[in-house]
Amino acid sequence: MTKTLLARLLGPLTLALLALTFGLGLWVTPPDQVQGNLVRLVYVHPALAWVALYVSFGTATIASVLYLWRRTRSATLDRIGACAMEVSVVFIALTLITGSLWGRPTWGVWWAWDARLTSTAILGVFALAYLALRRALDDDETRARRSAVFAIIAAINVPIIHFSVLWWKTLHQGATVFTANRTLLIHGSQAWTLLVSFVAFTLSFVWLLRARYRLEVTRDQSRQRDFNEALAQRRREGARP
Amino acid sequence: MSVPEVGDLTPVHVAPIARRSRRRSFAVLAVLALAVVALLSQGLLRNLNYFETVAQAEAHRATLGTRQLRLEGIVEAHTISRTNDGASFWLTGGKYRVFVRASGSPPQLFQANIPVVVVGHFVNAHAQRFNASQIMVKHSANYIAAHPKRVTAPNGTAR
Repeated sequence: MTKTLLARLLGPLTLALLALTFGLGLWVTPPDQVQGNLVRLVYVHPALAWVALYVSFGTATIASVLYLWRRTRSATLDRIGACAMEVSVVFIALTLITGSLWGRPTWGVWWAWDARLTSTAILGVFALAYLALRRALDDDETRARRSAVFAIIAAINVPIIHFSVLWWKTLHQGATVFTANRTLLIHGSQAWTLLVSFVAFTLSFVWLLRARYRLEVTRDQSRQRDFNEALAQRRREGARP
Repeated sequence: MSVPEVGDLTPVHVAPIARRSRRRSFAVLAVLALAVVALLSQGLLRNLNYFETVAQAEAHRATLGTRQLRLEGIVEAHTISRTNDGASFWLTGGKYRVFVRASGSPPQLFQANIPVVVVGHFVNAHAQRFNASQIMVKHSANYIAAHPKRVTAPNGTAR
């Protein structure tokens, strides 16, 4: 009952929070001292990057680790890992696109080959490679095991992306929220709107993941039904004199 | 329901389409692996440090010569002047300063006291003059709300 109610509320709640983010970001929050109205992209881009790198890629990695651990190994975890990685591709692409749209008027260039941008692009390629790997393998167990190992190896890039702005000199700015001394470098209503955006985009990930997972389950069931039917047909053919 | 007796269960021939799809996926994987190598070599390994600060460049002037580099510093206040093909200004970093003559239109946020990265080269191994073909603004991670309409101008309008 509670589960159904939560599932039903997830979509409307996500849309409401996204609408609230855009409302606050476009009309309520003030412009920035330096960036003026360009600052409004801060309510979209960092939240997308948060979901892409930590939430979705993190979910795929945790699901992969749990799949490889014999005690928790299940087809459900393999499905969650694959679905989270697919959603991750979408969010990484949106992160790169919004970053580029923000970079042109602020930096003056659409793209810079600095450590943060390049390592994020590499993560996107890793996510695509994960999906290609899954399509290349026929056996369910082999596919699940190899893609889980690949996801864990690819996840090494996530802390590199996170710390790139600290380890190396980049054109990309440093951390605003997750600073080394825990000091929030954004003020007043801007900070609250940023928080709302993080919650909104995280919920949108959960919503998308749930929808994608249900589609995968339906596809698996359909595949199993087709397989059973084909097997029954072969048996009938084999039984003919 | 009775299951029919099992007779000939010789494995069926795998449809060529499945093999083609698998081959295509392996080809995609190979292309993606090449993309990672290209990104690593072109972007990450060459540009781990995207720029050199004014102080670093001054410390290595002898080795830098007139080769192309990205130079980072703060645009010194009251030194910006527009030229026919761009802008010129002094760039500071620590106790060092470099005169930059840049061609092309500067970015929207270009202004005094802002960190910028300029792409170009020193005119010779000793001069403090840097010819730039591009200016990039490196804005900080701080977000401070502007407070418009808090100051009343002499003519009575709010600013």
